[in-house]
Amino acid sequence: MFGAVPLGWLQLKAQKLRLFAAILGITFAVILIFVQLEFRQALFISAVRYHTAMDYDLAMLSPKTDFMVSSKQFPRSRLYQVLGIDGVASVTSVYMRLVSWRNPVDPANARNILAIGFDPSEPGFERLLTPQQIEAIKIPDQVIFDRRGRDEYGPVRELLDAGEPVSAEINDRLVNIHSMYQVGTSFGLDGGVITSDLNFIRILPTRRKAAIDFGLIKLDPGQDAAEVQARIRAVIPGDVRVLTREEFMDLEVQYWNKTTPIGYIFAFGAVMGLIVGLIIVYQILFADVQDHLKEYATLKAMGYSHGYLRSVVLQEAIILGVLGFFPGMGIAHLVFTRGADATRLPLEMTADSAIAVFILTVAMCAASGLLALRKLKAVDPAEVF
Amino acid sequence: MSTELPIALDDVSFSFGKGALRKQILFDIAAHIDGGEIIILTGPSGSGKTTLLTLIGALRSAQQGSVRVLGKQLLNASERTLMKVRRQIGYIFQTHNLLDSLTLHQNVQMALQLGGVKGREANERIATVLDRVGLSDHAHKYPRELSGGQKQRAGIARALVNRPQIVLADEPTASLDKQSGRDVVDLIQDLAREDGSAVILVTHDNRILDVADRILHLEDGRMKSLSEVVSEGTSRMLNLLEKHDPNSANYLATFAFALARVAYADSEVSDSERDEMRRILHEVAKLEPGEVEFIMELSMMQKRARSGLDNRLRNPALDEERARHFLDSLYAMARADGVTTSEEIVEIEAIAAEFGLRAPVPAAD
Repeated sequence: MFGAVPLGWLQLKAQKLRLFAAILGITFAVILIFVQLEFRQALFISAVRYHTAMDYDLAMLSPKTDFMVSSKQFPRSRLYQVLGIDGVASVTSVYMRLVSWRNPVDPANARNILAIGFDPSEPGFERLLTPQQIEAIKIPDQVIFDRRGRDEYGPVRELLDAGEPVSAEINDRLVNIHSMYQVGTSFGLDGGVITSDLNFIRILPTRRKAAIDFGLIKLDPGQDAAEVQARIRAVIPGDVRVLTREEFMDLEVQYWNKTTPIGYIFAFGAVMGLIVGLIIVYQILFADVQDHLKEYATLKAMGYSHGYLRSVVLQEAIILGVLGFFPGMGIAHLVFTRGADATRLPLEMTADSAIAVFILTVAMCAASGLLALRKLKAVDPAEVF
Repeated sequence: MSTELPIALDDVSFSFGKGALRKQILFDIAAHIDGGEIIILTGPSGSGKTTLLTLIGALRSAQQGSVRVLGKQLLNASERTLMKVRRQIGYIFQTHNLLDSLTLHQNVQMALQLGGVKGREANERIATVLDRVGLSDHAHKYPRELSGGQKQRAGIARALVNRPQIVLADEPTASLDKQSGRDVVDLIQDLAREDGSAVILVTHDNRILDVADRILHLEDGRMKSLSEVVSEGTSRMLNLLEKHDPNSANYLATFAFALARVAYADSEVSDSERDEMRRILHEVAKLEPGEVEFIMELSMMQKRARSGLDNRLRNPALDEERARHFLDSLYAMARADGVTTSEEIVEIEAIAAEFGLRAPVPAAD
């Protein structure tokens, strides 16, 4: 009972049903915002799974390549050209293409899968494959399968885990699945296989070894990527692009965010969540101010300033925001755990996103409070007598 | 500030609306009220009482004249000045106007924290003031758990916790039954006397007029003298009684006349004697208390007429000028039927002699 009377909180508490409805509404809005933002985030994280997993300092690609799955080829000689540039330690040719995978158990069922090929004698895939696996793909028609691909590819994971041999038809060529690596799905791809450059061409006979999709460039220790990038750009013609890791990932993210409607849709969903929350909080606070007009007029007659009344309404808004946020965060967390299982997308709530949504929620409530404050203008202390 | 009256109004006028819709509510109001005084402001609805109260209470800014409250001029005052003055005034409202979501303790605290009083001192003062209004046991209850009278008393506690120099009350008894209304008014009176506050009480309720040190009457936005108001009200009520219950009117008038002659014959009547008379009228004559008071007052009027004139040297009720008006009007009345008979002149001279007035020469017809 020390300090000032927390009028805003006491007024909210006095109307339990309204408080409950308000919290429910805000919780709903918070879930909406969380899910939309998190799906958007997942889209971006998942889109650059391979960008992140491969080991390189600079990437070379065709200027026509917008995003990974629809890569365009460029001459392999361009990649070898940079080997002569100061600071470059090694290069790796990477081939990529969506190919048709037949379910090994149900061969009538075909589905696109990303096939990645690289020269096993060159570095760059150590984070994806074990040395044994890199040895294994040297054997003809042997591939490594992504264990976190979608279930529609068949029970490959289960069979391999059980120690049974699995083979499947890729582009009508029977290949042996040696073992598994782990990356996961994204909006653009459902699964993948990694193999050697030679096996890649066996699967795709129309492709030539001299035309590659990506080139990974590894620098000597202590080299600055941007400096080497500038050196390379000065030497090689403009028919290829050389990007740092960040630029390479950014290219992919920008494609999904800007070029496709997907990024926009999720951002729009998050904004909708904000607006729904804004309207709910506004309605609740407006009704609350309306109900208390006489009491506010009394307070003004007693000598309270308009600013005090404003602070009471804002206090209510922020309390509602805080009270609505935590259940919303809890439910969103639950949704993510379930959603991550179902979609194999990297849905997880980071502290950063939680803080961001919290600030958004409180800002949303404060904005609603400011809107509801306009009603306060009607408070005339002379009306109390 | 120390010598200045808490409330000083001069030539205050006030209008609502603008242009063609402008309606003047108050006309040239003057009133000076000292600390410790209890003023009752009466008047029919629409007479401007509440407007006047809001002007004094700094709830509106005055438009014309001078409104000095607690040393501050409120004519065209800024919202800031008004707010400062409001903090030094205790308001008691028609309905309690407590904050429903706060306990009584918190409600009182809302007033106290305006003055920056916090912590232990606040708790002590709240406990004291709630004790003074007899609500210590209900400190942590919400307004909805209390009766109307209790709520009104809580409202009083809130108004008085800051020991304001001015207390304004608007119809504080309007929503209460007779007894609770009485209690509330007595409480306001006691507390205001203790704190030496100036109290202005707006009311329609005739039952509480007796607490006033002074009665101000407003009608159509103008101040009226009390004698005019009382005469008007009383004659209206007597006419009503005459019209609807002439028998009782006669009975009461007869009683009053008789009482005045018997009981006041010896001209000195003590308070205990009066109480005894009331008891007799009530128990022997089987009159209702209101009727008893009426007879007492009527007979008192007759007694006052005599003793007032007897003591006229000491009592200025009939000074030189009034005495002249008095006799002039007696002669005029005698002439009212067109002729002044000798009987009438004899009677007037008798009255003048009886009251010790110099009988003037009647105007020749």
